[in-house]
Formats: sequence, structure tokens, C-alpha cells
Amino acid sequence: MVFLFVAVPLVVAGVLPLLGKLSKRVLPDILSNLTFLFLLVYAVTAGRQIIAGGPVNQQIIWFGEPVQILLGLDGLALFMLMAIALVSLCAGIFSIDYMEHHGAKANFYALFLVMVAGMNGLVLATDLFQVYLFLEVAAVASYALVAYGLGYDELEASFKYLLLSVVASAFVLIGVTVLFGLTGSLGFEAVGRGLQELQAGSTVALCAALFVAGFGLKAALIPFHAWLPDAHPSAPAPISAMLSGLLIKVSGIYALARIFFSVIGMTPFLSNLLMGLGVISAVVAALLALGQKDIKRMLAYSSISQVGYIVLGIGLGTPLGILGGLFHLFNHALAKGLLFLSSGSIQTATGTRNLDEMGGLAKRMPWTAATNLVGSLSIAGVPPLGGFWSKLVIIMALVQAGRWPYAVIAVLASVLTLWYYLLIQRKAFFGKLEERWKDIREAPFWMTAATVILALLCLGVGIFFAAVLKSWVQPAADVLSQGVTAMISRGR
Amino acid sequence: MSLQILLLVGLVLFSVAAVLLKDLIKAAICLAAASLVLGILFFRMGAPYAGAFEISVVAGLITVLFMLTIALTKTGGDVAESKLATVAFPLFFILFLAVDFIVTKNLIQKIVALPAAPEAGAFGEVLWKQRTLDLVGQVCIIFAGVLAVLALFRKRSKDNDD
Repeated sequence: MVFLFVAVPLVVAGVLPLLGKLSKRVLPDILSNLTFLFLLVYAVTAGRQIIAGGPVNQQIIWFGEPVQILLGLDGLALFMLMAIALVSLCAGIFSIDYMEHHGAKANFYALFLVMVAGMNGLVLATDLFQVYLFLEVAAVASYALVAYGLGYDELEASFKYLLLSVVASAFVLIGVTVLFGLTGSLGFEAVGRGLQELQAGSTVALCAALFVAGFGLKAALIPFHAWLPDAHPSAPAPISAMLSGLLIKVSGIYALARIFFSVIGMTPFLSNLLMGLGVISAVVAALLALGQKDIKRMLAYSSISQVGYIVLGIGLGTPLGILGGLFHLFNHALAKGLLFLSSGSIQTATGTRNLDEMGGLAKRMPWTAATNLVGSLSIAGVPPLGGFWSKLVIIMALVQAGRWPYAVIAVLASVLTLWYYLLIQRKAFFGKLEERWKDIREAPFWMTAATVILALLCLGVGIFFAAVLKSWVQPAADVLSQGVTAMISRGR
Repeated sequence: MSLQILLLVGLVLFSVAAVLLKDLIKAAICLAAASLVLGILFFRMGAPYAGAFEISVVAGLITVLFMLTIALTKTGGDVAESKLATVAFPLFFILFLAVDFIVTKNLIQKIVALPAAPEAGAFGEVLWKQRTLDLVGQVCIIFAGVLAVLALFRKRSKDNDD
């Protein structure tokens, strides 16, 4: 039952505010984390079996009536579902201790679950309008989650995020409307076929421009990035991890790739455009990150930079490039999730996010320091961690395609990345322990547990990268590459 | 045809007024008027359900909510607004008209495809049987909004906890 990926988190989210009246803490903690665990186990076990015989479109029978709830599960969707479930489980475990002082846990988890349901729905959608709808579901939940602290900065960041995100949704909706007007249908395949027969060049180009602007805003590619460095640091740490680790990728990159590869069709111009945006994001955001003093803000800029890498790989459009892009998406989700969670641990312990005020924290918080180091090195691309392999695949793909300048810039941006992550390490964890941090203690058990799980995953993916690539990433990349081949064979 | 053009011009004018007017009550009324005109346009173009929803929900219900909110809030200090809006708006409008001209021409050429849509059928049939997931999605969005309101306006209960 593919529908369970959307229905289960929604139902639990509906029950939670009521159960929250009975038990303020324990029940919401247990129930929501069990839901995340269920989603992960279900994706890994049942999902694999369901798509063993190829992609499925599942139709639901509701009270004996067949209703049109058509959800499509293929290699790419399953890969994304697994990534979503994995990071949300860790963020959920982290929230058990972290959200203690925020209050209203049941509401928090309910919004969190709705956001996950929205992302799952978007991943499983087979139709352009559904992409827009579930984009909004995840977005509406995330506005509230960014503002969850209710402070001035949080509310301001959330409002900024809301305004820019609404513009993005409007762009997407206009694009969908024009495509519907052109082809008279909304399903991915039907629209793809319809566009084939029409040869409406300029109008399709307009739709592509609208989608690039809309999904580019959602993915925070430069120059559409203005909201992200405010929104992501303001959210509670587990939500920052979800937003930076997943939401920008699901509602930005995944939706863009799905529509470009299997509906509109990748053209050389679009490919160059995406690669250009990707490389600008990777370099400029890395330079901006260097100047930051707020640890979460630095991580937020780093997200823009890494999203640039992913778009560079996927935009290249060769099978190897897509493989590298998707693998980097997965590695970045794990590592950035880990880094935002550990920044939450630091904030809980010290009460500050300013890197200049920290120093020597490794002596008091060894677990946090160690896991943060693993995440930093993974994103910076140091072997044998996951991020190294995915960046290597992207750079190999660029070289293979003869795009030398891009490959060189990608390597240089990676050096910049290493630089600012080492800055975090030096300023926060190494050096002399300041007097005022004498009495701080390691983060509580569940917070540490979540970061340790993610650090082990970063390490595991790096060591067993061949197996991960073969069993998870390759089937996902194949879906997008086949989209390209199908377009070529249809005469595009 | 001339009525159609009049309605369209009215729609644009009311929308512009809704954005540019400083007085919130007047802006809300202009928004309601714009959506009323849009509703009439929907009716005339053969989309009676869309027209009915537009008028009852946007022109009616949402205007009431706006009025209520404005009436309940106090007038605060003047917020300095950037003059950029008045300059940028005409520019964007011209840009939009240019883009619209290209697209609409293409759409009108290709409009033949529309009647062949698989989504044809009675309104209720389409909504419940063919676009069920859209309904689920809509319910999700409203649900997310309700949860967001619960979460963002929880201040008082939090203070009680403390």
C-alpha cells in the first residue's frame, strides 16, 4: 500500500493534538518516533518488494468505490522516501530531549508529521497539480515550524520565508496551469506526450523558466537564496536539520528533476542553465559561509553551496552525473542533518550560536565534537566518508563529459568547503576552554544518540559506498536517465 | 466582448488598488470587488462552480475575516513603505503583458486540445472520483494551517506552564 506513506503520518498528526491533552510529553514522543520508524522500515522492506517488478501506479479502493488516488512508486521515489524517513527518524529522536523547553510537544510533532506527509506525497505524485498541492502542504507546516520559537527573529524569518515561498508556489502554479492549457491533462506521462505532439517551443520555454524560478526559490539556488540563511537558523535544530537536509531537496531539486527529466524534457540549454546556477551557488555560497559567525547561519550557507553541487551533477544530465548528484543529495541530507543537530546540542549546552564565543568545547562535549567532525569532513569531501565519494562521482562525470572548467571549479569549491568547516572545528571545539564554559555538560542522551546514529551512517555509507550506490542510488538515477532516453527516442 | 474587456479592466484596477491603497479596510473592499469581478468572469466563461466558489469564499468569507481582523487590531505607528513598489509595479505589469501576449497567442492556437481532456465529466464526478488525491491534499493544507495556528498562538498556555 503506497498510500500508507502519506496516510500514516497524517493520521498520527491528527490524533496527536488530542493525545497531547492526556500526556504532554511521553505519548507524543513515542508515537511520532514510532511513525518515523515505521516509515523507514516500510520503505526499506515493503518498498523494495513493491517495485521489484518495475514502477507501480497504485489505485485505491475506498468503501468499495475505486477513487482516483494514483500514486507512483519507482526507484527514485523509493530512494527519496528512504532518505526522508531516515533523517526524520533521527530528527525525531533528537527532538525528545531538545523540544523539552519549547513546550507544546504534541503540536510540534503534529506539524513535523504533516511536513513529512507532504514531502512523501510530493515524492509519490504522478501529476503536476499534485506536485503543487503537496509542495504547499510541506511548506505550510514548515512556516509554522520555523516560527516555533515565537521570538522576534523567528517570526521575521518565517514571514520572509513565507513571502518568498508563496512567490515560488505561484510560479509553479502558473507553469502547471499553462501546461494544462496546452495539453489538456496533468499526469506526467500524458503532458509529456501532449507536448511532444504540439511543438509549442516558446510556451514550453516559458513554463521551464517558471519552474526554474519556482523550484529554484524552493531549493534556494543563488540568486533565489535570500530567505534560507534567515529561515533555517531560526527554526528549532531538528527542524533546521529537516529543512536543510530534506525539504529544499524534495520540494526544490526532486520536483525540478522529475518535471524536467520526465515531462518537459532536458534540452542542452536547460542543462547549461542548471549547471550554471549550480556552479554559481556552490562557489558564492561557500564564500559567503566563510564570513559567518553564527554557526547555524554558516551551515545554512553551506546548504546552498551543496545544493549547487547536486544541481551541477543532475543538470549535467549524463547517467554518471545524475548518479553523483543523487548520491550527494543523500550524503548531504545525512551530514547536514547531523551538523544542524549537533549545532542544536551546542546551543542547548552553551546558549549561544556565536562561534567567536565558543572554544575548547570538545573537552566538555566529546560526543558532540566527534560527531560534528564526522559530519563536517563528510560534507567537505574527505575520504573515506560518504561526501567524498559523491563529490568524486560528480567531478568524474564532469570530466567524462569534457566539462573541465566546471570540474576545476567544483574541486576548488570543495577546498573552500573544507576551509570553513575546519573553521567551525577550530573555533568551537579546539583550543583553550573558556572560563565560562567550565560547567557545561554533554548533550542529553537522546540528542547524543541521534547525532551518533547519523555519524555512523555517514561513516557506513562512505565505507560501503559501492553497495549503497548499487542497491539504492543506481535504481533512482536510472529513472531519471531513462527519462532522458525516452525523450530522445520520442524525437526531442 | 466589450463587457468582457470592461470586466477585465475592472479586475486589474481593483487588484492594483488592493495592493497600493494604504487604508486596510479600503484595500480589503477592493480585493473583494476584484474577486467579485473575477467570479463573474468565471461564470461568463462557462465555469459556474469556480465562479460560485470565488464569490462565496474569496469575496464573501475572506473579506469578513479581513474586516474582523482589522477591526480587532489597533492602529499602530506608521510603517515606512518603500517607494519602490509604485515604480516596480508598472514595470512588472508591462513585462507581464508582454509575456501574456506570447503565451495566450500560443494557448489560443492550441486550445483544441482542451475538450479532449480525460478530466471531462460532471463536476462532482471529477472532484470525487477523478481528482480524489487533490481533495486529500487540500484537506492536508487546511489541516497544516490549523496546526500552525495552534502552534503559533500557544503563547498563553506556555506562560501558564511556566
